[in-house]
Amino acid sequence: MSRIARELQKPVRLDSSFDSRVMGAVRKLPKHSRFGLWSRLTTPRSVMVSPLSWGLAAAAVAVFAVMGTVNLAGDVSRTAAPLFSSSAKAQPQRVQFVLVAPDAKKVAVVGDFNGWDASHAAYQAQHRGGGVWSVTAPVPLGHHRYSFVVDDSLWMPDPTAPRATDNDFGVANSAIVVSNQE
Amino acid sequence: MNPVARTLAALLLLSRAAAAQDSELAARLDKPTLIAVSAIIDSARLAKLPTKPLHDRALEGAAKGSDGPKIVIAVHQLSVRMGSAKRTLGSSATSEEIKLAASALELGVQVRDITRLQSAAGKRGVTMPLFVLTDLIAREVPIPTATDLVLQLSRAGVKDGDLSIFQRNVRADIDRGADPTVAATTRARGLVLRNSTPSKPSE
Repeated sequence: MSRIARELQKPVRLDSSFDSRVMGAVRKLPKHSRFGLWSRLTTPRSVMVSPLSWGLAAAAVAVFAVMGTVNLAGDVSRTAAPLFSSSAKAQPQRVQFVLVAPDAKKVAVVGDFNGWDASHAAYQAQHRGGGVWSVTAPVPLGHHRYSFVVDDSLWMPDPTAPRATDNDFGVANSAIVVSNQE
Repeated sequence: MNPVARTLAALLLLSRAAAAQDSELAARLDKPTLIAVSAIIDSARLAKLPTKPLHDRALEGAAKGSDGPKIVIAVHQLSVRMGSAKRTLGSSATSEEIKLAASALELGVQVRDITRLQSAAGKRGVTMPLFVLTDLIAREVPIPTATDLVLQLSRAGVKDGDLSIFQRNVRADIDRGADPTVAATTRARGLVLRNSTPSKPSE
């Protein structure tokens, strides 16, 4: 026991390179996480931005700024755009609409594919003779509700098509599913 | 295109679409109706429901000359039905499926039947089966019969194109005076037989 005590009481001698070896090992350790994010945010670095990215970023900021202004003012631009152009995934298919209406002077197709707009130029039916009116117009893929408008006032469902089941406004609509197979 | 540019381009497209929708509503609705409809659409967007059907319903009401309160009620009811439909179909359902399931629920189709139909349709999607189902019901085929027939057709792997022909034939039969249930059952039986035994002559 006394031999162990004597051994422990001897002074410890460190060689001269001890400090530099310890500091070298410390520098090799990963940095503390508390300072990692700060370090990443504050360390200067080069970022490569293409002219296209910069242009798109500026355009996006401008669009959001304009939208914010419009909403705050409560007044919205009245420029209309075809609805199907707003959906990137919809690939419109050409669909023929036919109505037999011998006494009609004008026939248009309205539906959720043209904003229910009876004045939409692409959906004005032409008289083919014998009371047959038809138009072949683009309709996006998917399920749609539509109707004919005769002489700007009379709404008529397509007699050859399925009826749309929901009828909230008292005038029945027709339904169609446009798919790639058609 | 790099990822940053792609993301920004997508944001631009989305904002353009939203702005176009807003401007169309503003052009056709009076201010109180516009405010109410916009609030419903915003809530639907937060609930991750498709908003275009709501927007379309408002435009339809305006085109048909309905008054503001009627438009707001119609848009609100559609929003509620689409919420139920989405809960039934799950988060992977498409906008078309949600719209049609909402119509089916409104007609009285049971939630469990829509789920069964979805599972029978598998990867083909449930758009066309729901479209045919709602049309059969609208043509006065009783709901349990119509549901059972469309389920059988889906389980037999009948393709959308054939479903569309089936629907057209049933409609023609009914227009010629056939009993809706008999017409639908007969046409469905023939299609199921043809689909299950492709090498043998069909009925």
